[in-house]
Amino acid sequence: MKRLLGVALGVLTAIGGFVDIGDLVTNAVVGSRFGMSLVWVVAAGVVGICLFANMSGRVAAASGRATFEVIRERLGPRAGLANLAASFLINLMTVAAEIGGIALALQLASSVHYLLWIPVAALAVWLVIWRVKFSVMENVTGLLGLTLIVFAVALFLLKPDWGFLAGQALAPAVPAEETVSSYWYYAIALFGAAMTPYEVFFFSSGAVEEGWKVKDLVQSRINVLVGFPLGGLLSVAIAGCAAVVLLPAGIAVTSLSQVILPVAEGAGKVGLAFVLVGVVAATFGAALETTLSSGYTLAQFFGWSWGKFRRPAQAARFHLSMIICLIVGLAVLATGVDPVLVTEYSVVFSAIALPLTYLPILIVSNDPQYMGEHVNGRSVNVMAMIYLVIILVASLAAIPLMIVTGAGS
Amino acid sequence: MKADRPLAPVPPTAGRTLDAQLHLMDRQVLDRDGVPVTTADDLELSGPALDTELEPGTPAPVLTALLTGPVLGTRIFGGRPPSTRLIRIPWKDVADVGIVIRLGVSGENLDAGWVERWIRDKIIARIPGGRHDPR
Repeated sequence: MKRLLGVALGVLTAIGGFVDIGDLVTNAVVGSRFGMSLVWVVAAGVVGICLFANMSGRVAAASGRATFEVIRERLGPRAGLANLAASFLINLMTVAAEIGGIALALQLASSVHYLLWIPVAALAVWLVIWRVKFSVMENVTGLLGLTLIVFAVALFLLKPDWGFLAGQALAPAVPAEETVSSYWYYAIALFGAAMTPYEVFFFSSGAVEEGWKVKDLVQSRINVLVGFPLGGLLSVAIAGCAAVVLLPAGIAVTSLSQVILPVAEGAGKVGLAFVLVGVVAATFGAALETTLSSGYTLAQFFGWSWGKFRRPAQAARFHLSMIICLIVGLAVLATGVDPVLVTEYSVVFSAIALPLTYLPILIVSNDPQYMGEHVNGRSVNVMAMIYLVIILVASLAAIPLMIVTGAGS
Repeated sequence: MKADRPLAPVPPTAGRTLDAQLHLMDRQVLDRDGVPVTTADDLELSGPALDTELEPGTPAPVLTALLTGPVLGTRIFGGRPPSTRLIRIPWKDVADVGIVIRLGVSGENLDAGWVERWIRDKIIARIPGGRHDPR
């Protein structure tokens, strides 16, 4: 019974924890401009993140090594450092975007300007990282994030033409008023939002934090294989709401209030309350994950002591680096840069950096010295190779498309 | 080094053969209690000095220490730090080499831990809750 509860809890937190500010904004933007015609990208992204999150979890459980230790060891210090620089900067950008997301959601709830909420949000993130137990942190934000299901509820209440939506999703076509290049640009953004590398850093480091052993792998596999696809459905619901309400009205999403507007229309005030709680929980959870990920990547590259399972004093450089990251994130947001814009760029840059993260994991998960008998099976390797090609193409195409489309505008 | 000069034969080895690049470099180093100390940034070998003629029968160099500190920067960007700036973990402190390098000593007294200890004592431990056990 206890085991069943553990599985249920894991799945629920995986669903609630799947969506972050990148998914919220990108799905709403895409829904409001392209309808359901990019749903296939979310599906592809979810399969990809399942594949590689599972792999990195298996590496962590079988060897006790988290992803960035492995990256440094396999790529050597030079390529490792280049990888660290890219991953770390994108991660920092995501930290800023998530904290901005918390502040924007709190502004919508309170009418207090978001710039005033930003220091409060950053301080709260730091306090949780400083004090709260890892599993409590994971479960609380994950479960509260489940309130985002209100997007799916709102979609039902809006009584859309289901056949029309399904038609858009199953026979994707570029809408007449959009260009082919911006269609593909947003395809890459959506892919980057679903597969953000920090999720893998966090997932594998989290496995070490929680002391996973090989026997826990079944549970982690269920969490990933059930939780992430359901989280992906939430993403699709966000896009669906935007496609039903915003697309016909000709509103292209540029702010968080527009992201949640369809929920207010479909599910009223109660829905609005739920969605605000959900957005705060999802962005807060993701702010924790990204901040921790920046500490994890640095500490694992340089071999510092890390982990929330240790007292802060026993992982001093790890905690100091996270404090500095939060301060830098604050400084970026204090310039008044639009957090939604930061988010839109961060998901595309995530897509560019994807191969840097996923190739070393694939190599190590085939290494018997690390994995013993738990090396990748053949079918996993075939899938992973296919994804590596997709990831590489997306990564190479991102910058040219960004230039051609003027970042999607 | 000329080919016609006989070098000392490879000494007979007991136990495993380690590939320095594959098994030692860039591996995580843990102390006796499993606490991460550093990553093996480079290795120190005993003499002969660079660019000297080798006499026949010169003994093969021996691994003397794992290195860390500024040597990582010079390894990436080129150059060589002065030997006084090297932070050494003597090879005799190494207890086991596997997926990680395990030391047989506590990391608390190693030179390699001074930055960690400084940041702990001057900053982190002074923030309220810095010594709070999260579990």
